[in-house]
Amino acid sequence: MAERVFITGMGMITAIGDNVAENLERLRQQRSGLGFTSYIDTIYKQVLPVAEVKHNNDALFALAGITPREGYTRTTLLGLAAMREALRQAGIADIQSAPTGFINASTVGGMCDTEKVYFDIINPEKNGTFLQYIDTLDCADCTQRIADIVGFSEHIATISTACSSSANALMFGARMIKQGFLPRMVCGGTEALTRFTLNGFNSLKNIDKQFCRPFDQQRTGLNLGEGAAYLVLESESFARANNSRILAEFTGYCNANEAFHPTSPSPDGDGAYEAMKSALAMSGRTLGEVDYINVHGTATLNNDVSEGKALERLFGSGVPRFSSTKPFTGHTLAAAGAIEAIYAVLAIQQGIIFPNLNFKEKMEELNITPVTELMEGVSVNNVISNSFGFGGNNASLVISKYEG
Amino acid sequence: MAAISPQTTFQGDIFSAPLVHTDKNLLACVEPDYKPFIPANSLRRMTRVLKIGLTTALQCINGSGVETIGPIVTGTGKGSLQDTEKFIREIEQYKETALNPTPFIQSTYNSVNGLIALQVKGTAYNNTFVHRGFSFENALLDSMMLLAEGAPNTLTGAFEEITAEHFYIKSRIGFWKDAPTDNRALYETLTPGSIAGEGATFFLLTGTPAPNSKAALTGFKMLYKPAEAKLAAALAEMAAGADLVLTGRNGDSRYEHYYQQLDTLLPGIPQLPFKHLCGEHDTAGAFGMWLGAQILHAQQVPAQWFPMLKDIPATAGKILLYNHFYGEQHAIMVLERV
Repeated sequence: MAERVFITGMGMITAIGDNVAENLERLRQQRSGLGFTSYIDTIYKQVLPVAEVKHNNDALFALAGITPREGYTRTTLLGLAAMREALRQAGIADIQSAPTGFINASTVGGMCDTEKVYFDIINPEKNGTFLQYIDTLDCADCTQRIADIVGFSEHIATISTACSSSANALMFGARMIKQGFLPRMVCGGTEALTRFTLNGFNSLKNIDKQFCRPFDQQRTGLNLGEGAAYLVLESESFARANNSRILAEFTGYCNANEAFHPTSPSPDGDGAYEAMKSALAMSGRTLGEVDYINVHGTATLNNDVSEGKALERLFGSGVPRFSSTKPFTGHTLAAAGAIEAIYAVLAIQQGIIFPNLNFKEKMEELNITPVTELMEGVSVNNVISNSFGFGGNNASLVISKYEG
Repeated sequence: MAAISPQTTFQGDIFSAPLVHTDKNLLACVEPDYKPFIPANSLRRMTRVLKIGLTTALQCINGSGVETIGPIVTGTGKGSLQDTEKFIREIEQYKETALNPTPFIQSTYNSVNGLIALQVKGTAYNNTFVHRGFSFENALLDSMMLLAEGAPNTLTGAFEEITAEHFYIKSRIGFWKDAPTDNRALYETLTPGSIAGEGATFFLLTGTPAPNSKAALTGFKMLYKPAEAKLAAALAEMAAGADLVLTGRNGDSRYEHYYQQLDTLLPGIPQLPFKHLCGEHDTAGAFGMWLGAQILHAQQVPAQWFPMLKDIPATAGKILLYNHFYGEQHAIMVLERV
């Protein structure tokens, strides 16, 4: 019997807060982080809303706990800020105190900073400190800089499966624990807003000029966001021997591919259905034991139909309470899975269900509607968290209350 | 297994294929005819790394005798550079308006995985690792875990491309040698930098030997920025019983000392370097593993590919493969005859 995997630490930074407590506060206040960008150089500055972390890079250096220096991208700094909190919360003063792996996720690496100097980089007549950003373009750069500052020396990896990247990072870490490679893993993802990604999604006509409206009949697309989140995962035996404070149990997960279309989900949500069904089966929980689903809910036309259909197919007339928290954080791509996994833990710990902001009108394709008001004092024992991405990559996680 | 590389590895007999050489410090892939593999309407839109990745994967499946493909797991350090470069350029050129989304979609690191899954209707687990010299290696670790968890097989591979623009970019931070260096002479002069390469390599892996098995992976270790002593201990331990060493030597004077450890640690075991065949790139380790499996399966070394060596071993039963990427990600594998 493979070991159980526990969540023993969490750290995050998003448009609604620099740490877990601030995120929780803003979720409770039902105040969105959406607005307009201060830091991206784009013609869409006042046109396309984004959920940006409200700090310039100098301030992020302080949050990351390092002095300003060249070569550290916004992606790395967001990641470091979240990493510091996760380790602090897990009571890890020295990462070397136990063999610990680091599984990171990123969709475009340090593009946020590289894109600003790219045309200088390819111009032989230009020279300067910008050359120190050349190697930050790939996704491993942020992982290794975070690893080196914190002192990780065991297994490291970076995953990139578009919007499901950090959900897959959590899964990979949990599997390494279960197979006995390492007793402790820190897993999650980091994502900074870029002109590249903003134009990418805009060229796909997937961005709403208003604040996004998941599961609403009138929705027209997503809003991008940025942030980072990491969770500390520990094997049961290690957590007990180490006397770790257990926040929740990571009971199930599934990664399934849809093999339907490069960017669109299937209309009936085959991949979403399979991912949720298999993750739940692994957790040993029944359909009726699911108290809340933090849906992927990007508010694109296709995602919400597909995901909604999958919910109806899996749960029939008993679809649990569900909401998308994307109107708070924007779609943070590689970081989304880990950010929302932390929200799942918060829902369990606090007995709350977060509202799906901006919802007004039920979708005609569906019979279900999301939770629209903050619910407190609810018993939340099992949460499904969904992350679906380009390339047909679907991931579902099941996070459960720790019950000894 | 299958490989598209700067050598003629995709079709034909590798034991008679002449060594492809150039002094451009950039080894580009010998590209096959893609039409038998990819429908023409898809082919038109696809950029080079998507074509080489997808075609290698399909060829690998064709030769495996396996009908139902399980999980698909890959590694790539850079993904589609051509698409990334194109989208950056078009954003600038068209001032962020009326952009064609295709390069953006294809620049996504998991786009090759998505294409493979689409074409073979692979609905199982699907993952892409993007970590420089640990990209393919993490895909391999993931695959081994999947097999241990009960997956019937995995399609495991890597793909990388080098573009003229990226070659220039990396030349600005010392990745390549300054002097034009013929790949046949890569190991003659130790100077900073190596020569660039690219390629796609795929393996169909199973947890138990199958009639078509080419080789067995019996040992595997990744070490991130290890101290020399830690690395030496791992190499010595895993080398037990090996009669051939494949090395990622690449002529780069800055990191040669890691490979030189092999000379003192494992005296008397013949070594074959492989970077003059595939060039240096994030997922060159996959090419090394492919070469090792070829040697073990055919019980023959493609001697014509090693004109720089005096004594070439005739064959091998157990191979130690050691590769690192610019001194940071070190990977050690043990491959054995089935």
